[in-house]
Amino acid sequence: MPTRVIGFAAALSVALSVAGACAAQPAKGKAADGAMLFKQNCSACHQAAGQGVPRAFPALAGNTFVQGDPKAVAFVLLNGRGGMPNFREDLSNEQIAAVLTYVRSAWGNRAAPVAVATVVAAQRGTAGRQDAPSVLPYH
Amino acid sequence: MPMSTNPDGSAFSRRMFLERLGGVGGTALLMAGMSALGFGIESAAAAPPAMSGGKGKKVIVLGTGVAGLTSAYELASAGYDVTVLEARDRVGGRSFSARKGATLTEIGGETQVCDFDDGSYINAGPWRIPYFHRGYLHYAKKFHVPVELLNNDNDHSYINFEKGTGPLAGKAVRKQEVAADMRGYATEMLAKQVRQGALDAQFGAGDKELFLDYLRSEGYLTKNDFKYIGAEGRGPLINPGAGLDPGPGKESQPYPLSDLLKSQTWRTLRSVSSLDQQRTMFEPVGGMDQLPAGFMRNMPPIVKLQHVVEKISQSPGKIEVFYTDGAGQKGSVSADYCVCTIPLSVLRGIDLEVSPKFKEAIGGVSYALVGKIGLQMKRRFWEDDHHIYGGHIYVDDPMIGTISLPSTGWLGDKGVILGFYPHGAAAAKISAMSLAERKAYAIAAGQKVFPQYADNAEGSFSIAWHRVPHNMGGWAQWTEEGRAKYYPTLLEPDGRLYLAGEHLSYLTGWQEGGIESAWQQIGKLHQRAQAA
Repeated sequence: MPTRVIGFAAALSVALSVAGACAAQPAKGKAADGAMLFKQNCSACHQAAGQGVPRAFPALAGNTFVQGDPKAVAFVLLNGRGGMPNFREDLSNEQIAAVLTYVRSAWGNRAAPVAVATVVAAQRGTAGRQDAPSVLPYH
Repeated sequence: MPMSTNPDGSAFSRRMFLERLGGVGGTALLMAGMSALGFGIESAAAAPPAMSGGKGKKVIVLGTGVAGLTSAYELASAGYDVTVLEARDRVGGRSFSARKGATLTEIGGETQVCDFDDGSYINAGPWRIPYFHRGYLHYAKKFHVPVELLNNDNDHSYINFEKGTGPLAGKAVRKQEVAADMRGYATEMLAKQVRQGALDAQFGAGDKELFLDYLRSEGYLTKNDFKYIGAEGRGPLINPGAGLDPGPGKESQPYPLSDLLKSQTWRTLRSVSSLDQQRTMFEPVGGMDQLPAGFMRNMPPIVKLQHVVEKISQSPGKIEVFYTDGAGQKGSVSADYCVCTIPLSVLRGIDLEVSPKFKEAIGGVSYALVGKIGLQMKRRFWEDDHHIYGGHIYVDDPMIGTISLPSTGWLGDKGVILGFYPHGAAAAKISAMSLAERKAYAIAAGQKVFPQYADNAEGSFSIAWHRVPHNMGGWAQWTEEGRAKYYPTLLEPDGRLYLAGEHLSYLTGWQEGGIESAWQQIGKLHQRAQAA
């Protein structure tokens, strides 16, 4: 029956199972799960295996930039680029380091892990103007 | 506009300016200029270019969003031989209302079939028509597409902010309470300073008393000592009524200022005061797909559905568009001109014979990540139990963005709520969820505000526009650099190819941008065709 009422308990249990499967926001200092962070924040566009969508969302698998200077890659996560939003408000430095470390080692990528200190260094001097949170979307 | 000076030193009057505008752009531009100069004539800017004498010259229009339909309708009316190619099996593009049976497979996603009841819908793309979007209203009127008011502001709606601190954090408070209290406290404080003479240097003769009158009026302050002790407008604890019980009712008490400040709820008060969001706001009766349907009723059968453009080639004498149709057959159509309204996010993936500069410009803009979900509710509890009729529920979870209540079907049985409307990184996150997870997330957020939410939730339809084939994004997001470097290039034709759409306007993300861009581009095309 397609229009079956979803009870709140059922809905909540789905939500909890999602949260349970992905430790969504590990506390700072706790090991962040790079693979899960990738799934939650990046996979909608860059796709589950980092293969991207041609001419829309760049492939991360085999991407030379992604496997290059870790500070430059961290800078993109902190500031966004092109259509990619910034994740400054959404991810901690530890989480950014973890997700980048994952992306640089998954799907055949072979690049060194990214240290939290590298993310901190990339952040220096790049803190953009903090816009007031938008309380109603624009359109 | 003050008098300015010509290069030769002579005065350049408003009148001369207008005459020149009229000479260059015809009456429409003249009238628009008069409006801009304060003559108060607005409507003429909101009309298509006057065109006739197309003489059967061939034009291909790509895409059937409002920009494509506007182009096709006007060109066909002017005597051009128009063929329209549309990739999907429906017209309208992003002007899409998801109804029962609508299917969507996002890139990398599951196939979704909308499971609303008959008659229910969610405007999955654009949903609001500001009063000054005269182009949209021009066609709504012309095609007899009825509109209704969209309640874009509701004093009685809830604000449920969880990220603030203090006793109001995580508590659903009424917007009218926050508005009355913040205005009251702010004006009281300012009045105190003014009365103590702290700001005397700011006032001209007599202005200080007028300013105090304003503050007292603005904040509902007491007559003699300028105190805020609450206001009727924040809503009573018990509404006044008949007899002695409830009789006069019972007044409510203001929240403490510190609680309000810490709650951050005051951030909502400016939300619908920007020009784009002011009243009057409209929506088409029956869904945003009604205007595209209006175009279709008024055009010859020139739209070919399920024709996906693969390549556009040009030679000095013609332009040719290659496509694959719904049966997998490849074909092409040639014409004198082409008006392409395909979003740049998609166009950059199509094989184009254009100049390198034009090609680079097509890639010079990013598209918005944006999501929406419609939740069908089996009962209109927000109306029946909470006395909230339309408007928005404000939350501070960016993955929800806003919850919005329907402005149609008042006092009816069921209704479809906009359950989330996230942007940017938050939209990326929610779109990475499965359909069931998205729905559960939306329901859990609404449940925090309405105890009836989860128990009443039925069907749903969610969309992440950045993952939708043939769209690949909500709308164009120009940077200042892109506006300077690429935008002007795309406004001019490349050979016989003209682009049009919201992306070629300063009304990006609004249907009006698509309509006005189409008018501008087909006007250029027509001028050239007439001269040829």
